[in-house]
Amino acid sequence: MVAVSEGFSHRVLPYAGAEELLAGAVPFLRRGVADGDRVMAVTCLGTEVLLRDALGGDAAGVEFVRADSWYAHPSRTMADCLGDAEDAAGGGRRLRLLGEPAWTHRDPLEVREWQRAEAMTNVAFARTGAALLCPYPVRALPAAIVAGARKTHPETVRGETALPNPGYLDPWTYNAACDTEPLPPPPPDAEELLIDVVDLYWLRMLVGDYARTALLPDDDVQRLLVAVTEVMTNAIRHGEGPIALRLWTDPGALVCEVADRGRWRAGTGFGLIPPRIGEPDDAAGPDGGGRFGLWAVRMLCALVQIRTGEAGTVVRLRLKLPLRVDGRLSTHSG
Amino acid sequence: MDETWHTKRAVSGVRPGDHALLPYGDLEERDRVMGTYVDDALTGNEKVVYVTDAPADRLPGLRPRTRARLDRYTRSRQLVVLSRADACLDARGRFAPGRLLDTLGREVGSTDAEGFRATRWTTDFSWMLDGRPLDVAAMLGCEHRLGDTVGPSAVAMAICQIDRRVCPPAQYAALRDTHEVLVEVDPRFDDGNLKIVQTFRPAGLRLEGELDHARHHVFEDELARVARLPGAVHLDLARLAFLDLGSLHLMAGLAADRTADAPLVLDDLPPGVLNIIEMVGWHRLPGLVQGRTAGFPNGGTR
Repeated sequence: MVAVSEGFSHRVLPYAGAEELLAGAVPFLRRGVADGDRVMAVTCLGTEVLLRDALGGDAAGVEFVRADSWYAHPSRTMADCLGDAEDAAGGGRRLRLLGEPAWTHRDPLEVREWQRAEAMTNVAFARTGAALLCPYPVRALPAAIVAGARKTHPETVRGETALPNPGYLDPWTYNAACDTEPLPPPPPDAEELLIDVVDLYWLRMLVGDYARTALLPDDDVQRLLVAVTEVMTNAIRHGEGPIALRLWTDPGALVCEVADRGRWRAGTGFGLIPPRIGEPDDAAGPDGGGRFGLWAVRMLCALVQIRTGEAGTVVRLRLKLPLRVDGRLSTHSG
Repeated sequence: MDETWHTKRAVSGVRPGDHALLPYGDLEERDRVMGTYVDDALTGNEKVVYVTDAPADRLPGLRPRTRARLDRYTRSRQLVVLSRADACLDARGRFAPGRLLDTLGREVGSTDAEGFRATRWTTDFSWMLDGRPLDVAAMLGCEHRLGDTVGPSAVAMAICQIDRRVCPPAQYAALRDTHEVLVEVDPRFDDGNLKIVQTFRPAGLRLEGELDHARHHVFEDELARVARLPGAVHLDLARLAFLDLGSLHLMAGLAADRTADAPLVLDDLPPGVLNIIEMVGWHRLPGLVQGRTAGFPNGGTR
């Protein structure tokens, strides 16, 4: 048994019903109110109603935030939340957050990224001293998601006690396990360009034309151009040619892939941890920007998939395409 | 951006027919422009007519090579320094536009006979604002006629200098409208994709075009140079079409080393670039400050 400690904690609260949820969540939140923490509860409306009722007067010390807007994008959510935790720590306080991830309506790729974010939370927030508690409704969720939570949270909460999770994995080990399967090959009609001498200006012209033809909104076109420039720059600086650029559309998404023959060195970080404000870029190359750049690429795209190994490196950027006016998903027509 | 409908031209690009205005923000800017204007003429077999009360060896921005050959240039009339009394004042010391235009016409007319390809005229009108009532109508009328002389000419070009610090806004606006060309310093860098121009008021750089990894080194060098200036450093980004993450990181790194009262101010951020910065988060880029937007001051100091 592990006593509730003052240091960083990231715990899963599996619950089968309201009683189990409240037994774990209410003491957690009340402790924060009593200690003067910044206390947040990110939940669905139903859970908020339950918690407010159970907390009584203590509810006034809790900021309630709706989960569907909070859990909008793994990298952006983590960056925002980490910013809150750093701000609190900077002011001599602790961020105490009850976060009920929104798992429904997510496709398998998104689920994997949220699970990856749960794992990386253990690295990103460790220095902030934040207390994070994640309720998982075991009856409503697929068993694999609940089992996954025991690998990404060091401890499980039962009532007011925390027990170590024997199946907990080192976050980087978990991250690597997420990426063991090869990416599906690009479709036969993908546009492919093999590049020996990279002209970034010309490359942006090409990608921009493709994206606009695919009806990617203007803001997202700009984000894609910044992202692909960064990934291509990394390939130029650290990869081995030739570099391949591929573009295609999947239902509902534009995909842009940069592949080269190089292999990333260990400890790259994959842009999963937000760079610390004012801290030197510890994973940067000689002229800086590596860690910041790849992290920012994740902020700009709906999804970034990376595979690196002996066969080379592939970075695949996905941006969501809007529904067309006829309700069908956009596909590239040019 | 209140000057976009004028042709903005680097001083090395000034050509016959240009009636240009140099609205300088400080003496370094004036000296840099005039040094180039004079030097380009003297090395290119063109005549310089400089109306000033300063002696020839005190002309703004004179390059060492020009200074060393000053006697030769003045003897051959390739450099003609005329006092204001001789060039454009009447017997009672008042500004006499007709006299100025006569002087200009005479000097331009002798260009070919003296063996020069062209004549470059310049004078600094700031003295007219020096505490005395300005006959705006006379001055603007003079500028119009000066433009009428220079505009159609195949051999004449003129730069009228004005110190922006002493010129009231309304008078500056009127003066500016009598010139087709605004002249500025030569860019620090221009390869067709990216142009970097030093700015003086506010101090900093103007970036035009696209900035990515291929030009990081030159950008880093130029940024480091202006970062040595005291106070806030401004980057005018109105014409920046693309900014990569590496460049943003360079800016943030430099800004982080500056004190809170000397930030790196990003003026006129294009929407696409602003969108990226907001996605990354201003709070992750300490020391970078959003300045003027769409021509309206918002914390900027122009």
